[in-house]
Amino acid sequence: MSDDPGSEPLRQRLLYLQARTPNVFSEILGLTQIEPIRGYRAEITATEQNWPYETVHEAIVDGWQIVQFPHLQAPFDDRDIDVIGYEFILQKMEAVCE
Amino acid sequence: MSEATNLMSDVDMAKFLVNGYHLVQLDVAEDVNDSIALELDGLDSNPGDAITDVVPDLLQVLKHPKTHGALQSLLGSDYEIQSHRHWHCRPAGMGHMQWHQDGTNNRDRRPNRLLGLYYPRDVTEDMGPTIIVPGTQFRNAPTDRMATYTNIRGQIPLIVKAGTMAFAHYDLWHGTAANTSDAPRHMIKFLFRRTGDNKAPTWNHEADALNKPRDWNLLDKAEDAGNIMSFGNPLKVSQSDHYKERAIRQECWNYLMGNVDS
Repeated sequence: MSDDPGSEPLRQRLLYLQARTPNVFSEILGLTQIEPIRGYRAEITATEQNWPYETVHEAIVDGWQIVQFPHLQAPFDDRDIDVIGYEFILQKMEAVCE
Repeated sequence: MSEATNLMSDVDMAKFLVNGYHLVQLDVAEDVNDSIALELDGLDSNPGDAITDVVPDLLQVLKHPKTHGALQSLLGSDYEIQSHRHWHCRPAGMGHMQWHQDGTNNRDRRPNRLLGLYYPRDVTEDMGPTIIVPGTQFRNAPTDRMATYTNIRGQIPLIVKAGTMAFAHYDLWHGTAANTSDAPRHMIKFLFRRTGDNKAPTWNHEADALNKPRDWNLLDKAEDAGNIMSFGNPLKVSQSDHYKERAIRQECWNYLMGNVDS
């Protein structure tokens, strides 16, 4: 395996962002980053959260592309609440050296 | 210590209805916590529901006046200590546990069932603390649907002192961080249940608790039950969810006041 990332096939980095509303400018309430590296684990942590982005838009500006927008067709009523926020899934295709 | 001093206040109750948990520091003798922790260190298998037979000092935790005061406040005077209890040990080096709600998706918004999480030893940040998400107790979400969440804004690690009992609404979302320390982290989970509807408030209630003028500057930071119930939004969710949460909190408050049909 080469140490030169330019010679490696591109891999898909994933970013799950749960935003306050379906608007890309709304504040992020949840963040999961998945790196395409063997053995990588995304873990709940007890440390203070220092997220790289405050909004989905900030991630887009940093080069992430949305591959799935929140589903807004689900039935709803005016009483029940379920999951937290509206989930955007984003990707970056990058060469990765392991 | 009088029994009344162990009851929750209106502010405590409002915070519980908003956040879904209430922490109590049990002033059992220090050597009781130590003794329980050491006995748990020495167990080579999990006794399940029999943990209180194997470690009988745990009964001091269950019978502590502050335990009773919180349970009486939240579940009424005739609450039941259920027979199920479990020793949750996170050994050194153990990984994290994903978000989940206990049980199936038959949820109950009313505070009719509680988890009691007792920690016999100080829990530090690196010991794999339980992590809770305040304000999620009214959200009914299959655990599988939570699998794409990792860290959530507002999550709180229970970094607590020995002798802490965390009472949580049964449906509160929770998980666990990895234990990267070289010590095991112990927690005993108890279950408590309401057996009857309230006819009147069972905590230290003042008649005008929700009727004081709102403080529009301090909002939910004011030590006022009405402000906390109205403005509390620990997850910083959207306006539509926040309004629904407020309605549910108010229904729960009315129910606890003895208005069974609310």
